[in-house]
Amino acid sequence: MSQALNWKEHLGSRIPEDLGRDIDIFEAQIQLRKEDKLEEKLFAETRLRRGVYGQRYDNGQRFDGTQTQILDFASDTPTKGPDTAWDAPGMQRIKIPFGGLNPDQMDVLADLADEYSDEICHITTRQDVQLHFVHIHDTPDLMRRLAAVGITTQEACGNSVRNVTACPLSGVCRTETFDVTPYAQACSKFLLGHPDAQDFGRKFKIAFSGCKQEACGLTNMHDMGAIAAVRQIDGIEKRGFELYVGGGLGAVPHEAKLFDEFLPVEELLPTAQAIARVFARLGEKANRARARIKFLIAKLGIEEFRQLVLEERTKLPHDPAWTAYLNELDAHDEEALKPGQALNGRVLPDGFEDWYKTNVYHQIQPGYVVATIALPLGDLTSTQLRALAALCRRYVKDTIRATVEQNIALRWVSESDLPELYTELVHLGLHQSGAGTIVDVTACPGTDTCKLGIASSRGLAAELRTRLAEKSMQFDQSIKDLRIKISGCFNSCGQHHVADMGFYGISRKVSGFTVPHFQVVLGGQWSENAGSFGLPMAAIPSKRIPDVVTCLTDSYIQGRAKEESFQEYFQRIGKREVKTMLEEFTRVPAYDADASFYSDWGDPREFTTGDMGKGECAGEVVPLIHFELAACEREAFEAQIHLDEGSYEAAYKTSYNAMLHAAKALVKTQFLDIPEDPDLIIQEFRTRFFDTELFWDTYAKDKFARYLFRAHETEVSEYTRDLAHSLAEEAGLFIEAAYRCFDGMSTSAASS
Amino acid sequence: MNLQRINLKIFLEEWQVSPEDIFKIFNRWISETSDEVLVDVADYSHVHAGPITLLVGHDANYCIDNTGGELGLLYARKQPLEGNLSARLRSIFARALNACRRLELEPDLAGQIKFSGSEFLLVANDRLSTAATEDLDKILAADIDTLMQDLFKGAAFTATKNTATRPTLHIKTEAKFDLATLLENLAVN
Repeated sequence: MSQALNWKEHLGSRIPEDLGRDIDIFEAQIQLRKEDKLEEKLFAETRLRRGVYGQRYDNGQRFDGTQTQILDFASDTPTKGPDTAWDAPGMQRIKIPFGGLNPDQMDVLADLADEYSDEICHITTRQDVQLHFVHIHDTPDLMRRLAAVGITTQEACGNSVRNVTACPLSGVCRTETFDVTPYAQACSKFLLGHPDAQDFGRKFKIAFSGCKQEACGLTNMHDMGAIAAVRQIDGIEKRGFELYVGGGLGAVPHEAKLFDEFLPVEELLPTAQAIARVFARLGEKANRARARIKFLIAKLGIEEFRQLVLEERTKLPHDPAWTAYLNELDAHDEEALKPGQALNGRVLPDGFEDWYKTNVYHQIQPGYVVATIALPLGDLTSTQLRALAALCRRYVKDTIRATVEQNIALRWVSESDLPELYTELVHLGLHQSGAGTIVDVTACPGTDTCKLGIASSRGLAAELRTRLAEKSMQFDQSIKDLRIKISGCFNSCGQHHVADMGFYGISRKVSGFTVPHFQVVLGGQWSENAGSFGLPMAAIPSKRIPDVVTCLTDSYIQGRAKEESFQEYFQRIGKREVKTMLEEFTRVPAYDADASFYSDWGDPREFTTGDMGKGECAGEVVPLIHFELAACEREAFEAQIHLDEGSYEAAYKTSYNAMLHAAKALVKTQFLDIPEDPDLIIQEFRTRFFDTELFWDTYAKDKFARYLFRAHETEVSEYTRDLAHSLAEEAGLFIEAAYRCFDGMSTSAASS
Repeated sequence: MNLQRINLKIFLEEWQVSPEDIFKIFNRWISETSDEVLVDVADYSHVHAGPITLLVGHDANYCIDNTGGELGLLYARKQPLEGNLSARLRSIFARALNACRRLELEPDLAGQIKFSGSEFLLVANDRLSTAATEDLDKILAADIDTLMQDLFKGAAFTATKNTATRPTLHIKTEAKFDLATLLENLAVN
């Protein structure tokens, strides 16, 4: 057998021409950058647009628990982007439109994890696959091998249209209006590399949902969300979409706005194109923190935005691709491998019944089910993935979906095959029950691999999952279906805003140590396509979060009225009561009494010793600013109470005051006699903390300071719920940034 | 053949260590190791029968691994090594054995960890290089045979080939060796 020299030659015509050409270009750009013939920032965006991400410690520095170590990456090579060493391994994101996978693709993903990564495949909260610790020189071959099985990494990151997601049950759902799969696929294909979608200031995320009432595609938190709808027009049932725009999570979440109650399917792609054009033309470019389309829509108002899009739509030259796919909708119909038969009378293996209750969904097609493989933290090994692909070939056709809950769903399983399938899953260690329940905790990568992570979201998720699984069978039915979602920072990649119990990573300085904490977020809603967003309640040391989960669920079980939901219960008892309930968990024991609080879940490194200031006496010295910032937190909390009570003006003004007082607290560290005058406070804060970049966040830069400046400068004509809600979020983030700013100043002072 | 991505797993005979303990040691190795760049530690103790604690390096990864339900240290070479295949294999054995020996000598793990010196799994982790089956046979016939003769000082061994997913060789001898002896054997030859 002759041996190919490289993957390009080996795969030959199996690589689609257009994808192959793009990968060749990328490979050439890697070479150009290596030779320093391509500008650093340009190369960074180039690789990001192909899903080649940076990863934690790629700046060559890593805190080992006692001090920051310099990782000795070769210094004679160029960088991959600002502060990103060439030799530092990174993350490869792989787009899986609507999460659709087939066994051949799973095999290749497993092979790539073996050869280029760490034998782990990670499913993300947006139906992507991520491989970690990948070296950039391996990425072109990695992409070629994916392309040969119909997968591209193009526009997996960067300021582009990201993976188009869809409900993993679409096509087999019992409550859907129609199957959105072919529309999601067409949208993904149409916008991939489209000239009108190349000049965005930020990313653009699209989701499809087959029904409104379920969580499905989470359309409410997407830049563009389409929910299947039908209408009788001239006596004929026509398909269309209830179209939403401008939703998003991130630091300050925005609920999507209704763009069109019924957009005919023929208009889906041209409307998406027109939206892309308006976003590219009018969206913010200079200030990254305000560049998502949600900010443009908030600025213009949905009416004006809609008008601009409709005007743009009329100018678009006709494109046959807008509707060509509609003639081939039947081609997307899935087929089963086996006849659908009921389970009746089959001998059931041990553990099957628990798994069946939570991991099996009965399709609308009789005799068929969706079997969900619950993955801890969205991870499975390459060995498991390859074996799962082999299983899929025996039980289903190409009907596999990655889900937004970081699981894998096998569709079109004949129900009578379930006992055998379950037994095989047990052999693979993929038989965990509890899919879509409180046990099925989801988390972003957090401090494990993400550069932005503050606390260990995955470590906490693993701990909660273990503890909850141990007693899941004893759980009251009312809490079984609750969702827990965790982000490593405020950016919400773990979707903490839409969980029943959400957590996002922060830190607090205690006696000279930095202690990992999580903000507890309550009030979010997973159902109804992420129907509402929660707000932060209290900062809790990371190690007490499991106790908080127990406390909140116990309170709900014991205190709820009949049929009262988790959100309704906590809304009824009120934030003050919840705050009081959580108070006992906020305390951090002294280091000598319990050092475990000073490291994070799943990461035994001490979080803090390298950050310690010089001790001056045996007693604990709490700087004045901590008292003042704690008062600001209380003020921000009061704003939330006003918000709940519908007092939007009071909520807005209280949030503003909380930020202003936090700014004043910082200014006081340098200028003790700062007067109460807001203009003066802003001026001093700008001079001392903004212009000097002391208040700037490492990654978010000037984002949080601008929250205050904008609120100070804005003359509000109408105090809406959205406006007040946003400012309440911003106030919380501003105060967190103030804590970090002061802690950073203390550390600098201590080390100088 | 230009096979560069080679994994070597050295099996554990005794193991009474928590993933957290290994995490701490690997974390320390990052700052203590000067002859290669080590980058990060990852905890995968939540997955079934796979990596448990991973030490990511630039040239190679080191992982306490439970794939197939068999605990061991997996050395996964990522960057090219110099020399012919025989030299590369020799280098990989030396590096992996050294890492195992280093773990055995960790004061915090005294008496809790012991590697087998008589059983290894060699993985050709490059599906392009190993696309032709005769290449694996070549490894079997020549390079591994020579290397094992040196390593086991002529003791009889078996090398069982498996090509189900990646070409692997399960190498086993009935003779008993400790790691120090194996390293000495490698160095002498």
